[in-house]
Amino acid sequence: MQKSKHLPAGRKDRTMVLVDIRETKSVKASDVFLQVRPGKDFELITLLRAMLREQKVTDDQIAETGLTREQCVDFLDRAKAAKFGVFFFGMGLSMTRGKHMNSAALLTLAAELNAFTKFVAMPMRGHGNVTGADVIMRWQTGYPFGITFNRGYPRYNPGEFSTVDVLVRGDTDCAFIIGADPGATMPQPAIDHMAKVPTIVLDPHVTHTSKLAKVHITTAPAGIAAPGTAYRMDEIPLPLKPAIDSPYPSDEEVVRRINEAVAQKADWLGTRPQSIQHQPIS
Amino acid sequence: MSELKIINNATCTFCGCVCDDIQLHSDGNRIHKAVKACVLGKAWFLNHTGDKKYPDAIVDGKETSVEEAIQVSADLLYDADMPLVYGMSNTTCEAQKECVALADQLCGLLDSHTSL
Repeated sequence: MQKSKHLPAGRKDRTMVLVDIRETKSVKASDVFLQVRPGKDFELITLLRAMLREQKVTDDQIAETGLTREQCVDFLDRAKAAKFGVFFFGMGLSMTRGKHMNSAALLTLAAELNAFTKFVAMPMRGHGNVTGADVIMRWQTGYPFGITFNRGYPRYNPGEFSTVDVLVRGDTDCAFIIGADPGATMPQPAIDHMAKVPTIVLDPHVTHTSKLAKVHITTAPAGIAAPGTAYRMDEIPLPLKPAIDSPYPSDEEVVRRINEAVAQKADWLGTRPQSIQHQPIS
Repeated sequence: MSELKIINNATCTFCGCVCDDIQLHSDGNRIHKAVKACVLGKAWFLNHTGDKKYPDAIVDGKETSVEEAIQVSADLLYDADMPLVYGMSNTTCEAQKECVALADQLCGLLDSHTSL
């Protein structure tokens, strides 16, 4: 592992605490393993927050999470003594009981640990440029995901405007899917609804989603045949260097052309900038 | 076939790590070697070719042109009451910006993999 000025011994200067509901292969690579009971993430994080503020916590409350008081105290001591701590969290936290509230609790714990030391939380990303999507949406709308423009300005509410929920409730009546294959990853009720409504897919391959879609447009794979920018998990933008020539257009070009085609149509909501300009000043 | 070119410090977008020190050996149509890439990265780079494996566009199961598919997509999105723009993980930031503009113009929903 990388050695640095502040961590000259590399891995030996670092501590890795693994939290999971079962013993995985990663346990061998970690220094401390905390086995939390399934669905008790929110309780555990909230108890840790309480203990960090030296509030009263009973042994029964701790036992309910599957851990002991010694483990919790040891973890907090390590966290407070660290020079720079990071919580890496994934779908095990955000997709189990509590959902977004689990992530929110962990972010709060990270914020509160900053009373003692530098501490941050970073989501673990599966696919290539998910971080880029967050950054771009934050830059353009002020929110990272789960956004609606239905009032003409962006509003944010995960759980209400997030895709799985929108599809499972059957709210949306047209889906535009780019660089993703929800047909292979989403729960069955969401897929069923997507098959019912007209779906448009942009992908370098004919995917599961393409098969149930009305429109599929093949595009050049980003980073292999299409140039552009991608964000690393820690929000460092990196240029892409395409190595092969593709017979297909890039995602950027296709979406821009769809945008132009939609802009040709009548502005029924009156939200486009040019229509605001034409309003008379009284 | 064009001659072999070597691209230094190429970026791999298979997973969130986005390694940027990959050396690619490419003939313009296929990548033959991805030095310093992991197992996942190698599979990602070596499995893509410049061949035309799929039709340009498909509408209702029939092959069609990109222009035609773009027009159909624009009609569908414009006619919808609550269109959804979703995904944006395996694509570039430039395309993502266009997607935000699309959702804004349609007064629709906008979401990424992050919510999953």
